[in-house]
Amino acid sequence: MSPNRVHRQLRTGALVALSALALAAPAARADDAPAVARTPEQQAAAWQEIARQPDFWQGTWQSINPIADDFSTPPDYTPFARDYIAKYKPAEDSPFTNCKPLGMPFVQNIGGMPMKFFQSPGMIALYIETSGMTRFIHTDGRQHSEMPNPSYLGESIGHWEGGTLVVDTTGLAPDTVFQIGRLTNDVRVQGDHSPLAGVVFGPHGPNLRLVERMRLLDFNTLEIQTTIYDDTIFKSPYALPPRKFIRGIERRNEPQEWACTDNRDYLDPDTGKLEVNVKDKAQDR
Amino acid sequence: MRAIYWQNLMHSESVTMDVPHKRHGKWKFALAALAALWAQNADAHHSFAKFNMAKLTTLTGTVREFTWANPHTWLIVVVRKADGSTEQWSLVGSSPNMMARWGWNAGDIKSGDKIVVDVHPGLDGRPIGSIQNVFLAKGKVLVDPAGSNGQALAGGPVKVPTKPQGQPYK
Repeated sequence: MSPNRVHRQLRTGALVALSALALAAPAARADDAPAVARTPEQQAAAWQEIARQPDFWQGTWQSINPIADDFSTPPDYTPFARDYIAKYKPAEDSPFTNCKPLGMPFVQNIGGMPMKFFQSPGMIALYIETSGMTRFIHTDGRQHSEMPNPSYLGESIGHWEGGTLVVDTTGLAPDTVFQIGRLTNDVRVQGDHSPLAGVVFGPHGPNLRLVERMRLLDFNTLEIQTTIYDDTIFKSPYALPPRKFIRGIERRNEPQEWACTDNRDYLDPDTGKLEVNVKDKAQDR
Repeated sequence: MRAIYWQNLMHSESVTMDVPHKRHGKWKFALAALAALWAQNADAHHSFAKFNMAKLTTLTGTVREFTWANPHTWLIVVVRKADGSTEQWSLVGSSPNMMARWGWNAGDIKSGDKIVVDVHPGLDGRPIGSIQNVFLAKGKVLVDPAGSNGQALAGGPVKVPTKPQGQPYK
């Protein structure tokens, strides 16, 4: 292609882009149009900024911590939380049987399958394979919405403090799986070696806020430390111990899809009716 | 889901087996099965309420069904006992993603295949179990990652046995 032709095409492209902008402009609202790198120069600058950040991006991250937090540092509980825990009877069932979405913060605790970070200018995405869900962390400098709609993963806003990505999350659905404590050994069911033994799941308040600090300890190790802000449960913010994740770069550690519901409900071939939860139906055939 | 539906149809039409149809105890079994998934990051070889994790039993039989499904895979094996009768064992594995990372493939096990499986059997004496190792007729050995820690899950199986590890079931 001759230089002249390239130039002509670029000019035409620019004109088309300008016309598109002109058409789009009247419809765009100030609060709904974040800054976007539109020119090649702006885009190069945006990606160069990303390139200077710590490399969370290559490979995947596998949790190496136990699933449950052990709350070994006693939180300063509210009277409501104290009462709730005192009356808590560990259920045979768990809040996430039947593939219920876990939500933050517990969704990142499960492990077993890895997580993967992706990034584009203004946003970091975190795919969590154990739940098949993806968190979207806005890094474009925005503030939280005044009234975020409740969701399992919440509304996350991130910024960098040196090499640490600080993620602030609000807007969490009331039924997101939430561990508020752990029964001490003396009141646990004896002989239950399940990693969920003694875990106290409970409600959280509408203003639950999570602040995560994510950083690389070395190329192979990611650390995430979460502090919970919820004055219905904790009188003062509760800092959980850091969790560690190891980087997997081998092909087997690439992310896979996770569709938990495929073994949940089924159409009974005899009756044609929808039957609920038969993860174990094989048992009875 | 579709796969299970088809398997149901196939079995209802083409497989006749003398299997009692019990309708209770489903929930408890499902929970125990899920515990196998949750336990991934616990120390290797924890015990679950439903299975005897300290005991390993070796089943030799014929595959009736292998279901590659979330959150757990299922393997149903028909075992011929010493007295000539047959018994159907329902076995739960961990999740397809974890198993794929440890070398399993959905096509590895097919209905009708001869198979040897090391299982942690049910505590209550019912023919149920949690899969530990699978020995295929062609020589491939598969280890179930349930109960492994994060390092092993990312790193792959450390020890792959060359022969069955359990007490033969008669």
